[in-house]
Amino acid sequence: MTEDKKENCRVYLNGKELTRVADGAAFAEEIRKNRRQGVLSGEVNVSFLKKLNEVHINTDKGRVRVPYIIVENGVSKFTPELRSKVANKEVDFNYLLRRGIIEYLDAEEEENILAAVEEKDIGPETTHMLVDPASVLGITMGVNVYPEHNQMGRHSISSNFMKQSQGLYAFNFGNRYDARAFLLYYPQTPLVTSVAFRTLNLKTHPNGQNFVVALATYYGNNMKDAVILNKAAVDRGLGRSIFYRTYSDEERRYPGGQKDKIRIPQPSTEGFLGEHAYSKLGDDGIIEKETLVEEGDVLIGKTSPPRFLEEQTTFGISEEKTRDNSVTLRMGEDGVIDNVLISETSGATKIVKVRVRHIAIPELGDKFASRHGQKGVVGLIVNQEDMPFTKDGIVPDLLLNPHSLPSRMTAGHMLEMLGVKAASLAGKPFDGTAFSSNGFDEMAKFGEILEGNGFDKFGDEELYDGRSGRKFRAKIFTGVVYYNRLYHMAITHMQVRSRGPVQILTRQPTEGKARGGGMRFGEMERDALVGNGASLLIKERMLDQSDKTMIWVCKNCGDIGYFNYIKNTPVCPSCGSNSLERVEISNAFKLLLYEIKSLHIKTNMKLKSE
Amino acid sequence: MKEYSIQPGEAVGVVAAESIGEPSTQMLLRVFHSAGISSAVVTTGLPRILEIIDARKKPKSPIMHINLVKSIEKNYEKVRDIRKKVEEVKVSDLIKGFTENLKSGSMTLDLDREKMSLYEINARSVISKIEAYGTDTELVGDTLRVKVKKKEDLRSTRVSFVNIRALSVVGVPGILKAIVEQSEDGSFYITTVGSNIKDVLEIEGVDKERVFSNNIAEIMDAYGVEAARNVIARDLYSTIIAEGFNTSFRHLSLIADAMCFYGTVKGVGRHGVAGLKESVFARAAFEETVKHFVNAAIFSEKDELRGVAENILIGKQVPVGTGFVKLAVKKEDLKKIKNSDKARE
Repeated sequence: MTEDKKENCRVYLNGKELTRVADGAAFAEEIRKNRRQGVLSGEVNVSFLKKLNEVHINTDKGRVRVPYIIVENGVSKFTPELRSKVANKEVDFNYLLRRGIIEYLDAEEEENILAAVEEKDIGPETTHMLVDPASVLGITMGVNVYPEHNQMGRHSISSNFMKQSQGLYAFNFGNRYDARAFLLYYPQTPLVTSVAFRTLNLKTHPNGQNFVVALATYYGNNMKDAVILNKAAVDRGLGRSIFYRTYSDEERRYPGGQKDKIRIPQPSTEGFLGEHAYSKLGDDGIIEKETLVEEGDVLIGKTSPPRFLEEQTTFGISEEKTRDNSVTLRMGEDGVIDNVLISETSGATKIVKVRVRHIAIPELGDKFASRHGQKGVVGLIVNQEDMPFTKDGIVPDLLLNPHSLPSRMTAGHMLEMLGVKAASLAGKPFDGTAFSSNGFDEMAKFGEILEGNGFDKFGDEELYDGRSGRKFRAKIFTGVVYYNRLYHMAITHMQVRSRGPVQILTRQPTEGKARGGGMRFGEMERDALVGNGASLLIKERMLDQSDKTMIWVCKNCGDIGYFNYIKNTPVCPSCGSNSLERVEISNAFKLLLYEIKSLHIKTNMKLKSE
Repeated sequence: MKEYSIQPGEAVGVVAAESIGEPSTQMLLRVFHSAGISSAVVTTGLPRILEIIDARKKPKSPIMHINLVKSIEKNYEKVRDIRKKVEEVKVSDLIKGFTENLKSGSMTLDLDREKMSLYEINARSVISKIEAYGTDTELVGDTLRVKVKKKEDLRSTRVSFVNIRALSVVGVPGILKAIVEQSEDGSFYITTVGSNIKDVLEIEGVDKERVFSNNIAEIMDAYGVEAARNVIARDLYSTIIAEGFNTSFRHLSLIADAMCFYGTVKGVGRHGVAGLKESVFARAAFEETVKHFVNAAIFSEKDELRGVAENILIGKQVPVGTGFVKLAVKKEDLKKIKNSDKARE
């Protein structure tokens, strides 16, 4: 074989083929060595793909990279000596990076390594070691506590809830005009935190509160993931939040020199909503600050030019016709005008933003979740005197149904209950970073603190029924858990309709909450009624409550006719006959007949009375 | 008896569809739970139901169940002999290896004596089968030389070599495996992997009235629609029962009837039961709307509005359940009759 035939390992730099080498693995190792010595930038990552016999070198942006401790010849480069230096703050992380003790790897290079989780796992083939076992987790998961005690599936669920939680999302919330924002009234930092939580300094932006939780049922009101809230706690501000919604509008320009105008519309305006609707607007057509607003109130009065161009009248310029294009408060919402912003866009048009503030006090149907994927909807808000209480007079804020725990296997939830309870008694926060501790040791530690303060070491308490005053026969596990209030609240989801808007084309009820729509009576629902033989109910759902129309059908030729009000007689346009019959039909069918007609197919209807 | 009979106007079709649809969705959900425990070779559960409902020509795993004539049913020796006649042994099953020379048009086969004795086949029968294909053969020791008589192009030579290796020496083509099993009453029967009713019926000793297959198309060919109908209903029922669900047999019987209504087995779908509905609107509402309307226009079709779908579409009371009954004598007619009666008096 010739020399160049041997060099068949392709080398790619940022996805482009660069050259070929004989031994890809050695080539990649050479690059690594140079990187560690500082000859190459630390941002260069290289990987050797054995199956394809290719070397990929990546230096471009956008790669997610994770730090690893380098292990050479079965010995970690992060020696105990260095460890103590780091502990004494003599050296920092960047020093370790520069010295080639820690390096950042991207996803592709990670495929080439054999990483040990801990020092004791290092074998002869190990190339790297995790900086911390918890570093395998991302931000949302890393913030959670005791994840190693929970079932896998719960982690992704709790990560999702974290993103939905209400809290203090930004300090400048007063100056921001987010389309939708939630702000918790009294956010608290959790009492059991993790390294990631502290590193990200999330205590400045907390997203929950520490709830006193008892694992108890309450007369069937917390079945199936419902939770019971204490009315007094809610009144004191538990879970209370502000819901901001910003409505904005601008004066658009239209072709032909026409323009929108923000003002109180004249009664002559097309689609005028009535004097009352505009009553809260100021002289400039914009609502005033701190005004109470309800559903249907106009926030920004605006008139637009008509949709279609006007015909020129013979008398020259006629009075300019306008149509109402005002912004009204959304259906089912109320609140107070928080602030108004008037500005100009880059296109030099006037823009108005109105922020409405709604105080969202926890109510039935609001969603709460702990950091362990344990979500619940408020099933009942109970007066404090009716809640269970302990001998010390402690009344839980929230009652969680104990049936939520065994099937989901979220032992971490219970460990947090115990841990936060101990933390609140000890007066200092505890650490619950993933893989940092043994569950039994933690339990023993918490138990000691609890016993020292006169509590049961397993967190069980004797509870008394608030309604009867009798002591519960069983001891009830009571603790404190960090709970998030999620943005799925009853007020944002609730909707009713009896009669309402219909679609223009089909005349069937509209769909969706924003349009005041109805509930879809679908195919399977229809089949269920057919199966039951409820023929009149089907007719009611599909016709009377939907798109019923009356048409004139010609008895002579079977075509659709119309009623001539001048001659006071129905007319068939195709045969000119006047003998037509009024027929009740679905508008969808009428449309179908028209559509078939557009295919050049004539349909004949033969009428029969029943 | 009257208690069990169906009331007039009962929507039996919809109820049948629902009572097969409900366990199907359950099965679909359960597939993910039982993942990895696939030991059975036979298709069961939802895939099998779909196979039957769609009237597929070839099932995923064809299986036969051959009963034998009563006189030899209990005789293991004889049943075993029949089994040998059933199981297909190909040339490729009897060789250790082969070499091909496409240029000279010759192929050598290394006969596997051990396997041949296992199947109790001698070299002569192999040779006669291969020669029947139109080749010259020559046996030297354990190697069999095969040479094509006519010199063809390489491609067709190769095809004929492949075909020769796939030749069946004994047994019924298409039956990969046959096993003798004993039923509770002591009689023996044969179960097979692969199905070929037509050729199995030729074998002597097979009870022609008790040969079963899960290939419904084959049953249709060999025994006719009625048999196919029964197998459809029975197989649907046993699949649902085997999955631990329960459905009244009558629903499945109805589905089988609907599928066999046209004299041959038709699948439930565009090309089968749903596509052959009487009403233009009902067909158009299902699939290929425009096609149905255009054809209806060409043939000047008339929709009598007797079905459910078309009546929902136009907004009439559906002729099902409470909408099934009609007044035979209308009120106005009654008045007329009364008047005429009075006049007569």
